Amino acid sequence: MISLAQTYFIEVMTIILYCLLIFVPLLLGVVMALYADRKIWAAVQKRRGPNVVGPYGLFQVPADGLKFIFKEIILPDGSDKTVFLIAPIITLALSITAWAVVPVQAGVVLANINVGILYIFAISSLGVYGILMAGWSSNSKYPFFGALRSAAQMVSYEVSIGFVIITVLLCVGSLNLTEIVMAQKTMWFFIPLFPMFIVFFISALAETNRPPFDLPEAESELVAGYQTEYSGMPFVLFLFGEYINILLMCAMTTILFLGGWLPPIDIYPLNAVPGFVWFLLKVIFVFYLFAMVKAFVPRYRYDQLMRLGWKVFLPLSLFAVVATSSILFFFNLAPGM
Amino acid sequence: MQSLVYILPEIFLFIVATVLLVTGLFLKKIKLINLLAIFSLLVAVFLILNQPFQSAFLNSFVVDEFSLVLKVMILIGSIASLIMFVSSKDDLNINIYEFPILIIFSTIGMMVMVSANDLLAMFIGLELQSLSLYVLAALNRNSLLSSEAGIKYFILGALSSGLLLFGISYIYGFSGNTNFNLIAVNINPESLGLIIGIVFVLAGLAFKVSAVPFHMWTPDVYQGAPTPITGFFALAPKIAAMGLLVRFLFNSFGEIYIDWQQIIFFISIASMMLAAFAAIAQTNLKRLMAYSSIGHIGYALIGVACFTDEGLRSLLIYLMIYLIMNIAVFAFLLSLKRNDGYFENISDLSGMHKNHPLRTMLIALIMFSLAGIPPLAGFFGKFYIFVAAIESEMLFLAIIGVVASVISAFYYLRIVKIMYFDEPKEEFDGSSIQSLNLLYYPSSILIIIFFIYPSPVINISEYAIQSII
Amino acid sequence: MTAQLLTFYLFSGVILISSLMVISTKNPVHSVLFLILSFLNAAGLFVILHAEFLAMILIIVYVGAVAVLFLFVVMMLDFKTSINKDNILQYIPIGILIGVVFIAELIIVLINTKFDLSNIQVLPNPLSDFTGKSNTEAIGSVLYTDYILYFQLSGVILLVAMIGSIVLTLRERVGVKRQVVSEQLQRQGKIDLVDVKSGKGVDI
Repeated sequence: MISLAQTYFIEVMTIILYCLLIFVPLLLGVVMALYADRKIWAAVQKRRGPNVVGPYGLFQVPADGLKFIFKEIILPDGSDKTVFLIAPIITLALSITAWAVVPVQAGVVLANINVGILYIFAISSLGVYGILMAGWSSNSKYPFFGALRSAAQMVSYEVSIGFVIITVLLCVGSLNLTEIVMAQKTMWFFIPLFPMFIVFFISALAETNRPPFDLPEAESELVAGYQTEYSGMPFVLFLFGEYINILLMCAMTTILFLGGWLPPIDIYPLNAVPGFVWFLLKVIFVFYLFAMVKAFVPRYRYDQLMRLGWKVFLPLSLFAVVATSSILFFFNLAPGM
Repeated sequence: MQSLVYILPEIFLFIVATVLLVTGLFLKKIKLINLLAIFSLLVAVFLILNQPFQSAFLNSFVVDEFSLVLKVMILIGSIASLIMFVSSKDDLNINIYEFPILIIFSTIGMMVMVSANDLLAMFIGLELQSLSLYVLAALNRNSLLSSEAGIKYFILGALSSGLLLFGISYIYGFSGNTNFNLIAVNINPESLGLIIGIVFVLAGLAFKVSAVPFHMWTPDVYQGAPTPITGFFALAPKIAAMGLLVRFLFNSFGEIYIDWQQIIFFISIASMMLAAFAAIAQTNLKRLMAYSSIGHIGYALIGVACFTDEGLRSLLIYLMIYLIMNIAVFAFLLSLKRNDGYFENISDLSGMHKNHPLRTMLIALIMFSLAGIPPLAGFFGKFYIFVAAIESEMLFLAIIGVVASVISAFYYLRIVKIMYFDEPKEEFDGSSIQSLNLLYYPSSILIIIFFIYPSPVINISEYAIQSII
Repeated sequence: MTAQLLTFYLFSGVILISSLMVISTKNPVHSVLFLILSFLNAAGLFVILHAEFLAMILIIVYVGAVAVLFLFVVMMLDFKTSINKDNILQYIPIGILIGVVFIAELIIVLINTKFDLSNIQVLPNPLSDFTGKSNTEAIGSVLYTDYILYFQLSGVILLVAMIGSIVLTLRERVGVKRQVVSEQLQRQGKIDLVDVKSGKGVDI
């Protein structure tokens, strides 16, 4: 056992270091995203938003976090305690895990696996369990309704996300995220696949329970949905998990459609800028879109949500898969042909 | 692309089914859809007859004389049950346009089954067929019996699929292949694992042909399912599963036939005896037919157990005669109708000959044939089987077979007695059901004239078996 | 003892334990959750085998879709009243019987092969050469060519399952008012966009 530890000690430590390299910027990113979300929302409504704690209210989010950390963790009496506590941990852990394969620059990625896009898809499809478990274990009506809604919603929109990803993959010929970005050297995919870009963006909103699809936590109907019974630290875990997922979806949009870390035009001053800066800028832009949608689109009714998912997006994305593959086939554009 | 020719009938039927599915959604004309389905099944027969013989897809899908004959038989069964559906859909409360579509899907599954030359193809075909049948059994949503039939069939069917898969994994593990021919090449006669695999696969297949001891679902499903569907259960799946069984055993395990022969031997005897005794106590005609079909499968399995040309030929003859007799029986069951509904009990038949002399005579004829009384077709079916058994020195099987047919003659003849000698009841509807006559008269005539002109049936079976042995 | 072996034991150990928990926990929701855990670990085993495509598909299909529906249904059951512990004992004899049969089979088979599984001949692989191809490419290159029949037939099976579930469960309810978006959008003259001058109001 000692030799084993010796052999793998350095490796394990490097891996842990890499993980921290992802985790810490991610937490910072979430803090900034929370702040940005509130500021943008406020700006649209001609309010100031958080502006008291720290310069421009920048420390508002850490202050909120501290408050939550010191609050008591309330375990409802009739709840299934184990599941109740595991649920937020799962949500956060899964959302961070997915970032392991996201490349922020050519070669800068923790795990450059062959099936990166499938990995992200798989992990994000697991995200529903945190919510289901939370809703069920709370043993309370509103969380349960929230969980049911959320499960149905996420499963529905996953289908169209899957098909959109397939259309992109058809143009790339690889499941590797780095290769997906490199395939956009000549043209970012949002130009030829514009309708799919829209479908993906809207489905991403639904997948992350963002407004206008935030029915699982609709405060006017369900108090706070699946997280009604949560307080203190578990609540923060949910919050962080949710925002990391949102950032992941922004990153996915960037990688799949907006050319990842590639500069808009491959000319001197632009391509001298390091790739991760472009990546970051694009993620921020997509997040800005997310925040704007939250600010001015009213919430959907549940049947409208389902209609949009199954009757509009599913046929549209299915058709797009067929159309894309036919075009690629007949014009001999398909990679590897 | 070339290999698509070999699955052309299947592709054609699939396209028809999907087109009909969409048509049915907008055009709620069940009769039209049903007619189109019948027509396309006929076209499929034509396509099958003109197919080149070849194996395709890494030799996993075989088109040969055997599959041709069985496919045509299966399609005849499907067409018959669609005709029954037309005549009864309004009265049985199954006005669902998906009926013909599900039948077509199930038929595709069966066609894959009889062409399968690979464990994977076999399993997929079997699942496609069974899944459609589960839905069909439960099709009448207003009837508790029908739902019960569906659930029972589904749960037991899923269990049997599990057994089948378990067996398949053993066979694959111990022969290293899934292809029947390659298994035969790679077989290790001393390997116990293979035998365990065969046992489990046979258990799964025995469930599909409803042979004892895997017959428990049969009476309930036969009784619960709407009659046209019961007819379909009795006709096509049995033939398909028999064909699959033959190809599986003969193609891949011909070398170690001693080992599986005993299993078939036991299943066959048990089916014949159990069916003969259990059917005596039945009062419901559909349950009776269920036991009758268990018994018939027992006789047919004798043909498999022989493992000779003779046996195989007699098996095919038996299946053809079985098909014709069952078409006749179920058409007759559907004609037992008064304005207020259908009658399924044996006692409802009493004194029927007073009101319907011609129909009663035909029914009596079919019953005699089922019982195996010369000179009707049923007799010859059994005769060939017994001869084959004796020739391959399985005298015991033949004797049990004869004893079982004597016992089973009792309940067939009891029906005849009730129809002729008991107190008459109210009249049934007259010959208003034109489409049933289409099944009824030709099949009865075939049963009668078989002994005058048996050579086509014998020639067809000769033709079919040449690709197996 | 390499890391690979260690992870193998980790994954398979968790699979065994969680499978055991699936059938032994009293709460059906916990059962489903343990089932999901064992699926995830099975995916881990695939990864160890370098079958990363299968691993991901296993998670997406079984964990992400099938098990969610399981959980969905089980969560809505009123399981507190439906569990009767006394009944469990009566199935033990038959359970033991079946277990003994299966174990006996395994033992017989293993003795039969004299613990040497190398004497199983496998015919030379009839498929094309996969060297230098990634897992996904290799699967794709045979799935749509040599195995297209199975692939399509599996699709037909799924279609039948879909048709079946719709046939058996869809009930057309009468008198339900539904939103027809196209009709709403086609309404003419009902909606006006008016630029309201501040302090003046509009005439209706």
